[in-house]
Amino acid sequence: MKTPRPWLAAALAVLALALAAGPAAAQKKLSFLTWNISDQKDLFDLWIAEFRKLRPDVEVEWLDKKGPEWPAFYQTQVVAGTPPDIINTQGGLWLEYAAAGGLADLTPYLKKDADVRARFNADYLANWTYDGKNYMLPFYVNKTLLFYNKTMFKEAGLAGPPKSFDELVQYAQKMSKGDKSGFLTMNFDWLYWPLFKMNGVELLTPDLKKAAFNTPQAVKVVEALAKATQGGGINKIAWTGRWVEPNGAFAAGNVGMLHAHSPAFFFVRGQAPWINPDTLGAVNAPGGWATPNSHGLGISKGSKNPDIAWEFLKMVTSDKWTLEFSNRRKVLTGNVKSDTATIAAMRKDDPLAAQVLQTQLEQTDKLTGNWRIAVDSRVKEAFYPELQNALLGRKTAKEALDEAERKVNRALARQ
Amino acid sequence: MKRPPAWPIHAALCVVSFFMLLPFYWVLKTSLTGENIFAYPPSLLPVAPHPFFYVDVWYYIPFVRYFLNSVIVSAMVVAANVILNAMAAYALTRGFRGRKLVILLLLSCMMIPFQTTLIPAYLLTGKLGILNTYLGLALPMFSTIVCIFVFKASFDAVPRSLVDAARIDGLAEWRIIWKIMLPLSTSAVATNVILSFIWSWNNFLWPLVVTRDPLLQTLPLGLARFLSYHENTTGALYAFCILVLAPGILLFLLAQKEFIRGLTSGATKG
Amino acid sequence: MDHAAAGPALRAPARPGARAGAKRRREAALAWLLLAPALAVFLLYRIIPLGWNAILSLQEWSPFKPAVWVGLDHYREMLTEDPTFWEALANTLWFTASAPVGIAIALGIALLVNTDVRGRDVYRTFVFISYPLMTVAVGIIWRWMLDERVGLFNYALRSVGLIEQPIPFLQSFELALPSVIVANIWQIVGFYMIILLTGLQTIPRNLYEAAAIDGASARQQFFRITLPLLRPSLFLCFVIGVMSSFTSFDLVYVMTNGGPGHSSELLVTYLYKAGFEMTRFDYAAALTVVQFALLVALTWIGNKASGGDAGAVERG
Repeated sequence: MKTPRPWLAAALAVLALALAAGPAAAQKKLSFLTWNISDQKDLFDLWIAEFRKLRPDVEVEWLDKKGPEWPAFYQTQVVAGTPPDIINTQGGLWLEYAAAGGLADLTPYLKKDADVRARFNADYLANWTYDGKNYMLPFYVNKTLLFYNKTMFKEAGLAGPPKSFDELVQYAQKMSKGDKSGFLTMNFDWLYWPLFKMNGVELLTPDLKKAAFNTPQAVKVVEALAKATQGGGINKIAWTGRWVEPNGAFAAGNVGMLHAHSPAFFFVRGQAPWINPDTLGAVNAPGGWATPNSHGLGISKGSKNPDIAWEFLKMVTSDKWTLEFSNRRKVLTGNVKSDTATIAAMRKDDPLAAQVLQTQLEQTDKLTGNWRIAVDSRVKEAFYPELQNALLGRKTAKEALDEAERKVNRALARQ
Repeated sequence: MKRPPAWPIHAALCVVSFFMLLPFYWVLKTSLTGENIFAYPPSLLPVAPHPFFYVDVWYYIPFVRYFLNSVIVSAMVVAANVILNAMAAYALTRGFRGRKLVILLLLSCMMIPFQTTLIPAYLLTGKLGILNTYLGLALPMFSTIVCIFVFKASFDAVPRSLVDAARIDGLAEWRIIWKIMLPLSTSAVATNVILSFIWSWNNFLWPLVVTRDPLLQTLPLGLARFLSYHENTTGALYAFCILVLAPGILLFLLAQKEFIRGLTSGATKG
Repeated sequence: MDHAAAGPALRAPARPGARAGAKRRREAALAWLLLAPALAVFLLYRIIPLGWNAILSLQEWSPFKPAVWVGLDHYREMLTEDPTFWEALANTLWFTASAPVGIAIALGIALLVNTDVRGRDVYRTFVFISYPLMTVAVGIIWRWMLDERVGLFNYALRSVGLIEQPIPFLQSFELALPSVIVANIWQIVGFYMIILLTGLQTIPRNLYEAAAIDGASARQQFFRITLPLLRPSLFLCFVIGVMSSFTSFDLVYVMTNGGPGHSSELLVTYLYKAGFEMTRFDYAAALTVVQFALLVALTWIGNKASGGDAGAVERG
C-alpha cells in the first residue's frame, strides 16, 4: 500500500510544532483583588499590559469588590482554596489575616530587594508589620489631619488652629452658635484616637495584652468631650455619623473644624463651592498625632505563584507607576520620590490639595490608633459603643470606661 | 348588588400612590438631573433634566453584556421555578404520609438567610463543577418556597371533584397539572413568574461570589462601579437603578391581566 | 362511589384493604417524585448549609486554621457575655412584630385595587413599583429622605411649621430602627399586595352574590368570607414578614449599618459582621442556629394558629 507521504509529512510537522510550542505556551495565572477602586480600570489595564511585557507567560486577572462585600468574596475564595494571589485591603482588616497565617511574609522578599524597601516612607511601611514581619506594601496612604474653616475662625476671633486639646475644645465651644458647631471627627477605624493620644492616654499596655485606658486622665478627656458634645461645641454627628453625614455637615460650612483623613478633603470639596485656600486650612492635629487609614498590597498565603506576585508588586510600587497612579487619583502612594514629586507638581495647579497632602507626609513618626493585634475589630467593637454611650450622655464617663475595659480585656483574652 | 361609591376608593388609592411613588420620583428625578442630593433645600422639580446619565451607564460598565447575562440566568430561574414549584405544590395538595412534615420542613427552610449559606453553597457548587457558569448562578434559585405556597394556595382552591374526574379519565399526573391546575391558577403562575424573576434579577451576593469571569457578571454587580470611592451618589447611579428596575416593572405590566378579578374565580365553579 | 367498575386501568383487587394500601403507596411515591426536584435544590442550598453552620457552631475555626471542637462555648458566650446579641435579638423581634402592620396596609390596598374602580391597573402598578427596586437603592434614597440636615422629611416638616428643630431619624437611638422598618414596609407592601391579590382570585364570586342575597353587609362579607378564605395568603404574608427581618440586610447596612450603637442591629447584620468583618465564622454559625430556631418557632406557631396546613382551607 502506498503511504500518502505528503499527508504524513504534514501531520508530523504539525505534531512537531505542537510539541515544540507546548511547554512554552503554558500560561500561569496571577489574580489580584482590589478594594473599591473600579474607576481606575484604565490604570489597571496599563499595569497588566506592562506586566505582560515583563512576563509573557503570565496571565493577569483583575478583580475589584466594594468594601462591604470584599471580605465576603475573599474569605469564600480562601475557604475554597482559590484565593487571589495579590490582595489590596483597607485599614486594619489585614491584621486578621496576617495573624491567622493568611498572608505571605514579605520580609525575605524585602531583604532580597532592599531597593524596594528603600522606596517607601519607613513609618507607613511599618504600619503593616505584625510580630516583627512585614506583610504588606503601601498602595495608597493617608492619615488624619485637622481641617478648619478659616471664615468661622475669623468670626469667632480665633487667630489660628488649636495647638492643644484644651484649645481645641475651647475653640469648638466658641464657634458653636445656633446652627453652627465647632468640631467634627470621623469615628470609624480608630480615626478619633488622636484626641486621646494627645492627652497621653494609651489604649493598651505595651505588650498589647491588657487595656490601659481606664485612667483618671482618660476620664477627664471623655468628660470634656461629652460636655462639649452636650453643649453643641462638638456636633453629635461626630459620634453617630459614618462618612457622608460628617463630611456633608462640614461641606455645608457650618462646622469650624473637621478631624478626618485626607480623602475627606476631596469629598468635601466636591460639595462645597466655598472652599479655597483663604477659607480652608489644613494642619496636623495638636501634638502631630494621627491615625493612618491606608490601603496595602499583600500576597495571599495560598497563592501558587508568590514569586511572580512579588514581581508584580515590585512593578506597581515602582516610581514610574506610583507617579502615574498619583496623577490619576490625587493620592499619595508611600513611595517617597513619587510623593514628593506629586506634591511639588500639585502646588501650581491645586495649592490647597497640595497643602492637604503635605500634612500626610509630615510627622509620620507620630502614628497612633494602629495597634498590631489580631483581634483589632473585636477590640474596636468592645470600645467604641461604650465611648459613644458616654459622649452622648447615656452613661457617665467612669461607667463607660469601666465597662469598656471589661469588654476589651475579654476580647483580648480570646486571642 | 349595591356598588360602593367610586370616589372614596379613588381618594384612598391616590393617597397611597402618593406615598408609594414619592421616593421613586426622587430616584427618577435625580437620574435625569444628576443634582447633588445633599444640597439644601431640596428642589422639588427637576432642574435641567437630560438623559445623558443613562448614556453614562452604558459607558461605565459593559451594560449589554451584564444585561444579557442577567436575562439568561433569570430566564432559567423563571422556567425552573414554574415547573418545580407547580410540581411540588401539586404534590402537597394530595394526601400522603409525611405531608405535614414536608410543609413544616419547607417553612423552616425559608428561615435560613442567604448570608449564612454563602460559604457552604460556594463549596457545594464547586464540587458540582459549575462555578463560574450560568447554571451555577441560577441553580440556588431554581425553586423558592414562597412560590410553592403561592401555587399551593391556588391549587387548594380547585375542587377535588375536578381532579378526581380527570384521574378516572386516566389522565397522567403531569397532564393534570398542565391541563387543569395551571390554567385555573393563572394568577399564581403570574405571581411565580414575577417574583422569581425579581429575586433572580436583583440577586447580588450570590453572583458576586460565584463568578470570577468578568464576562459572566450580572447586572446588579455593576452597582459597585457607581458606588465606588467616595460614596458619590451621582445621576449615573440613579440611572443605573432605574435601568435595573425597568424589566421587573415591564414584566409586572405584562402580567397585569392575571390579576383582574373574575378571570379565574368563575371557572372554579364545579 | 365505586371506582372499581370504571376503566380498564383499575383491576378488581383481592381484598379492599390491599387496594387502599396500594393506592396510598402509589400516591405517596408519586408525591415524593413530584417533590424531589424542589427538595433537591433546598437540600443542597439550605439544609446542608444549615448543617454546616450547626457543626461549625460547635467548633473554633477560621478560613486559615483547622477546626477545633469547643462544644457549646459560643452559645455560652452569646447568651451570657454578649449584650449586642440581646439587642440584635430584640430588634429582630420588633421588626417581626411590624409585619402585621404592613400586611394590614397591603390588605387594604389589595381590596381597594380588587374592585371595579377605573384605573386600578395604574394604581396596582404604582403600589408595586417599589418592590423590584434594588434594596440598596431603596436604602440610599430613604437614607437621604430621612437625613437630618438635607432630607426631604425634615424639609417638609419644617416648611409646614410642624417642627422647629430637625429630627435626627437615623442618628437617634430611638428612631433608627423604626426608620428602617418604615422603609422596609414601603418596599414590601407591593409584594404582600400581589400575594393577597392572588389569594383574592381564589374566592368564587358567587359566594359574595349568595351572601348579598341573604342580606349580609359588606363588613359581614369581609369577616365571614374574605378573611377566612384568604387564610393561606395571609399566612404566607406573615411568614414573609418574619423572613423580612433578615432579607432586609441590605437596607440596614446602607441606612444605618446597625447604628447608632447597635440600636438598629438585626441578628442577620450582626452575624454577617461576625463572620465577614470580625472573621468569626464559628460565632456567626452559632448566631445562625439561634436565629433559625427562633424564626422557625415563630413560623410553626403561626402555622398552628392558622390551622396547621400552611393556612389552607377546606374546599368543596
